[in-house]
Amino acid sequence: MSLLRLENITKRFGGLVAVDDVSLEIQEGELIAIVGPNGAGKTTLFNIISGVFLPEEGRVFFQDKDITELPAYKRAPLGLGRTFQIPRPFSSASVRENVAIGAMFGTLAGKVTVDESLEIADHYIDLVGLQDHRNKAAGTLTPVEKKLMEIARALAMKPKLLLMDEAMAGMNPKDIDEMVQFLLRLKEEEKMSIIAMVEHIMRAVAGLAERVMVMHQGAKFVDAPTKEALSDPKVVEVYLGHSKGE
Amino acid sequence: MTGYVDFGYVAFMGVGTYGMALGITRLVHFKGLGIGLIIIGLCLAMVMSTLLALAVGAVALRLRGAYFAIATIGVNEGFRYLIEGAKIWNGSEGIIFMGQMNEAFGDEVASALSTFWADVLVVIIAALAAFVTLHYMRSKIGYALTALREDEDAAKVMGINVTKFKIIAFITSAIFAGLLGAAAWAIKTPYVFPPEVFEIHYTVEAIIIVLLGGAGTLLGPVVGGLIYGISKYFLAIILPGFQLLIFAPIIIIIIVLFPEGTIGMLKNRVRGTALERYIV
Repeated sequence: MSLLRLENITKRFGGLVAVDDVSLEIQEGELIAIVGPNGAGKTTLFNIISGVFLPEEGRVFFQDKDITELPAYKRAPLGLGRTFQIPRPFSSASVRENVAIGAMFGTLAGKVTVDESLEIADHYIDLVGLQDHRNKAAGTLTPVEKKLMEIARALAMKPKLLLMDEAMAGMNPKDIDEMVQFLLRLKEEEKMSIIAMVEHIMRAVAGLAERVMVMHQGAKFVDAPTKEALSDPKVVEVYLGHSKGE
Repeated sequence: MTGYVDFGYVAFMGVGTYGMALGITRLVHFKGLGIGLIIIGLCLAMVMSTLLALAVGAVALRLRGAYFAIATIGVNEGFRYLIEGAKIWNGSEGIIFMGQMNEAFGDEVASALSTFWADVLVVIIAALAAFVTLHYMRSKIGYALTALREDEDAAKVMGINVTKFKIIAFITSAIFAGLLGAAAWAIKTPYVFPPEVFEIHYTVEAIIIVLLGGAGTLLGPVVGGLIYGISKYFLAIILPGFQLLIFAPIIIIIIVLFPEGTIGMLKNRVRGTALERYIV
């Protein structure tokens, strides 16, 4: 049984085809990267998986259950967690409260009390290293701290599949390496699948993912094991503009 | 707590007032209900304001922010003209039920009800509202409302059924408005005229008070009410007739410079300290 299966997803905004007939299957415990230049349709695909948009065509299955038309708030308890490209903290609430919200309404919804949620929050705040900012208003964090807080918030949802939208944008190479190690550890310890979306940090992709899907102009361009995908001449061309010799 | 401003708030008070008035006038002939009549009136007020909240919420809560506020202004005016135009509940003649109060409870009790017990009821309702708000804030409802106030779309993705929680908040506020209308207006005066109970002025005052004190806080409205009440009183003495002219620019200044209000500012100051627990 696959964890997530997309079948021929198409999403249009007016005349623009943002996602064009994309199919994708992810197994439990898999960590894949979706790469592609700005405007390739990666975030739109994420929004379709998490239920922010409905696709015009195609179906979305989560653990073989058709969730194509399921509202976003019903997907989180099934085990879909995500972070956003531009962090969207609940700014006036503290970091602790933000992360606790994840625990309260994620897969543990209805099973944990407010106090238990706050304890879970503390655990993940420590895990991402924000323990000194626990009681700060989330809106006052730096951009990188906000990203970390969003990861903690998504992890507190105890998702089966974590969607990470540009988790490493704006980080320096050292931070990126740390983040890659962190995600690999997470995958093992929390036994979750991860789809990480990366715009252009190949350093991260190479160290992180077993498999890469490359998107270009809304369509699936390449879906292959990382090494193969990154050395594919077509991919090089999309990324660098021209292949060698031109 | 949701960040949604309801300009139709007074409509729920008005409906609550009618709940009490109708309860007393229609049921006055059932002797032996005694003070139970007041309780029935309060229940009617709650039921009627809940029903109105459901009807209004089903439509208006689909709108966001300012659009919601504008839509709710219409509710109040619309409801008033519906009552007057369609001659529902005596239309524009209103309901005067001093006589029925005397008949049901006897002259002495009726007068005690409208002079003393109505005020006591208001205090009890305020305490109850504070208790419920506090309970909401510390429960999952409070967390959900904070999340949806800050970012409705992110809240949905976190698994929060935003519609459900908006309706919970909306109905809770409507019920207390209805109770307040029943106690502070119906029992106290005791009459109901549509143009008076559906006066938008009260909503505006309530919003000013909340802004002064701090929206989404428990102490905010108390502090805001004190500031507003005292300054209104002194302004009326110093510059009679100019209160509203002076309040308008003050409100604009508050919104621009101190959007969190008095308590909101205080809350940010004490965040992370031992005092935090007490500033709610």
